Amino acid sequence: MPRTRRAPRQRPQGTQGGPLGGRHERPDARAKVAGATRFVADLALPGMLHAAPVLAPVASARVLGLDLDDARACEGVEAALTAAHIPGANSVGVIFPDQPLLVTDRVRMVGDRLALVAARTPEAAWHAARLARTDLEALPGVYDPVAALAPDAPRVHESGNLVRTFAVVRGDLERAHGHAAVVVEAEYHIGGQEHAYLEPQGCLAIPEGRERITIVASCQCPFYVQQAVARVLGLSLAAVRVEQAPTGGGFGGKEDYPSELAASAALLAWHTGRPVRFIYPREFDMQASSKRHAVVVRHRWGADRDGRLCFAEVETIMDAGAYIGLSTVVAERANVSAIGPYHVPAVRVTTHVVYTNNLFGGAFRGFGQPQVTWAAEATMDRLAKRLGIDPLELRRRNALDDRRRRLCTGQLMPKPVLARTCLEKAAELAGWKSARSRAHEGEGLRRHGIGIGFVLYGCNLHHGGQRLDRSSAVVILQADGSVVVRVGLTEMGQGNLTAAQTIAAHALGVEPTQVQVWQPDTTTVADSGPTVASRGAHMSGMAILDAVRSLRRRLDPVAAELLGCKPRDVVLARGWARVAGRPRRRVPIAQVAAEMAARRIEAIATGWHRTRARRYDAVTGQGDPYAFYAVACHVARVEVDADLGLVRVEEVAAAHDVGRVIHRAALEGQIQGGIVQGMGWGVTEELKLDRGRLLNPNFTDYLIPTAADAPLIRIAVVESEGAGGPYGAKGVGEPSLIPIAAAVRNAVCDALGVEIDRLPLSPPVIVAALGDRHPFADVAEPDRRERHARSAPTP
Amino acid sequence: MGKRIAVTLTLNGERRSFEIPAGRRLLDLLRDDAGLTGTKEGCGAGECGACTVLLDGRPVTSCLVLAASADGHEVVTVEGLARDGALHPFQEALVARGGVQCGFCTPGIAVSGVAILARGERDPQAHARLLSGNLCRCTGYTKVLEALAEAAEVVHAAD
Repeated sequence: MPRTRRAPRQRPQGTQGGPLGGRHERPDARAKVAGATRFVADLALPGMLHAAPVLAPVASARVLGLDLDDARACEGVEAALTAAHIPGANSVGVIFPDQPLLVTDRVRMVGDRLALVAARTPEAAWHAARLARTDLEALPGVYDPVAALAPDAPRVHESGNLVRTFAVVRGDLERAHGHAAVVVEAEYHIGGQEHAYLEPQGCLAIPEGRERITIVASCQCPFYVQQAVARVLGLSLAAVRVEQAPTGGGFGGKEDYPSELAASAALLAWHTGRPVRFIYPREFDMQASSKRHAVVVRHRWGADRDGRLCFAEVETIMDAGAYIGLSTVVAERANVSAIGPYHVPAVRVTTHVVYTNNLFGGAFRGFGQPQVTWAAEATMDRLAKRLGIDPLELRRRNALDDRRRRLCTGQLMPKPVLARTCLEKAAELAGWKSARSRAHEGEGLRRHGIGIGFVLYGCNLHHGGQRLDRSSAVVILQADGSVVVRVGLTEMGQGNLTAAQTIAAHALGVEPTQVQVWQPDTTTVADSGPTVASRGAHMSGMAILDAVRSLRRRLDPVAAELLGCKPRDVVLARGWARVAGRPRRRVPIAQVAAEMAARRIEAIATGWHRTRARRYDAVTGQGDPYAFYAVACHVARVEVDADLGLVRVEEVAAAHDVGRVIHRAALEGQIQGGIVQGMGWGVTEELKLDRGRLLNPNFTDYLIPTAADAPLIRIAVVESEGAGGPYGAKGVGEPSLIPIAAAVRNAVCDALGVEIDRLPLSPPVIVAALGDRHPFADVAEPDRRERHARSAPTP
Repeated sequence: MGKRIAVTLTLNGERRSFEIPAGRRLLDLLRDDAGLTGTKEGCGAGECGACTVLLDGRPVTSCLVLAASADGHEVVTVEGLARDGALHPFQEALVARGGVQCGFCTPGIAVSGVAILARGERDPQAHARLLSGNLCRCTGYTKVLEALAEAAEVVHAAD
């Protein structure tokens, strides 16, 4: 077997030589690389049926009738169900009850379900579903969130189209206006994004009569699925068991949405008494599942002659689509994050959430923050240009630091504030100074530019979600010294199994290979909230550490007896129990475990963690929205083909304030993956819509980055003491995506010498932005130039 | 259900016969008839590469291949990449370098990578281009390409 070269292990100070911060093999890698991991589509049971939905083909309509006779007559069909068959509540909204599982009177988005079919093969189920006859009366729809706010706009729901408005109000705006020497106003139109997890949505429902049910689901949040299924079937939470299947990517797209599949499959399973599997075809997945919100952001920001920000006014309008889903929660993060890692004396932010008949806006890595960050960083570059100050220098002058650490919410950020450190490190890695001086060389077709994206990320859940911010763990020491760990947070590729394994192994002093972390199951751990907001490693880790503390209250006395020392002198490291200060007196931990088993000592422990309660005023946006923060800075270097409007991201330098590294390869993987996913959003990924219908629901027309598009990525990891996570770790999943699209936008604008206010930076957008500066503008006929300009989407 | 036909192929080195509906995709034959679920369906349109297998040594997206057309040919799936219980050097490198995250694209990437190495390709830029038919949404490709470069050296040294 070939030997592979590995980077040397680096360990943080103050640990006992455990696996923390290392690069040991991921526990799930070997099975995955051999194709041995069983995803939900790989599971089948005798008698299993396959589900398919009857879908609304239009975005806004009144339901006049539904005839399922032809569908029921199809060969292989075992059930065709409507809302009348739902034993519990016809409701799947995760926060607000505005979304039915099956619509009865009104269609509000393309992909709304009218009925469900179960058949013996997937082909028969989808065929039968297409034979359902729906009688729909078209109603006017609204497909633009700004237009949806007009008083005479068609109403998506009776309550009106404005769902909620959030605000941040701080400082004396009028006075601050007086200090500003330069004011920048802009309106940014920022598109949404499809998650494009490689594994489509899927679940398997296994009924036990009508008493109780097991759901195996590709999902981020088994407890959300549990609640939705219990609600729809009218069962108690205890009668619904949800096991997370190995999950092939989530990125927010498997936060609330899997509840819709699970409730559908559960309803069919409950009625037929048979297992029902429901796997989405890609095209339907892309049309129906949630998306990153498309937003409009309006800015008025002012700075004094020295480039110090005086005020920032931000108005954001978020397109929620037809149902709220998680949109209000996404808006809460966007709202308090709108001015970035900068000190600004006077701030007014308003964030509106608006119903339309468009795609379903929801959670996506970054949770509203990538959009407002894109706008903030674009405005910072505009200010730099107006002031004649280098963009790096302008950020230096305004970045929060240990002396100036009050956020726009009035919260005093915990020290150390590492914004300046990340900014300088990323700039240095990118060779900012020399690249800037070279950037404008040559006015040929291929232009080069460099740009910065900078973010302050509030770790874990916003104040509005703090009731969910707790987590559960179970640790079982087996008689052979191996360890079973269960946590309530999920692995979806990001490395939560690896993080939980590393933390448990480190705390128990055993090798990582001795620890098996099994995926969450709602019957083995208590509700731990959703696996979102980069909280997986944090919340799993804290609960594991609590469980280990509890286990050691029983383990240490046994070890002490074997070692002939006091329990408080027992040290566990590298598979051994030792006496503190006398390393040669030791017994294997496996021997301690065997002794505990022989004496019938309880070798299972539970752990619990909840975050400290915080105060926050949702009306003024003042208080502590998050407990602590992480900073990230990305610097992108691009080449732009000014003729064709094509952008190539060549290099990205990324500096991340991570607190403490838990697993170095997993950390790098998060940063690299976040950068490429964020780059795709910024450059090529465009959701093309026609009256709520997605025109490009496939990978042929919706372009996610390939291996040939991946830039060279240089990473600087900034560690520090004192953050609130396990061993001082901070979340990294989302900060790794948030700043990159902004950095690319600024680099492209630097290369071309124009401002661009639209995302993605597709060729028509770039050519339109160039206008008369397009290399062939003088040879193009005037009407062709106008067509170019029009081909960019207009507000 | 239509006409059923007999298909015989060499699957991971073993001669196997199946009686299947004439319209069945090779992907479904592998997953449903042969029980080899390592090959994944990510898009069903030949775009994502998760269903990549080797057909007579060449990588193909098995969702676009009719099972009947594989009659008499040799198919290797991700389950067939190991030799004598040992993973292929590219699979080992993916594990060692952290080139695996969610793992859904991984079987297709492993198969494509093995095909790229079988060509004797050692140029990193060619690696990226040749792997661009396999979409991955987690890793950003960095560690996947590092693993491929590393495996190329291992394979080259062994040749």
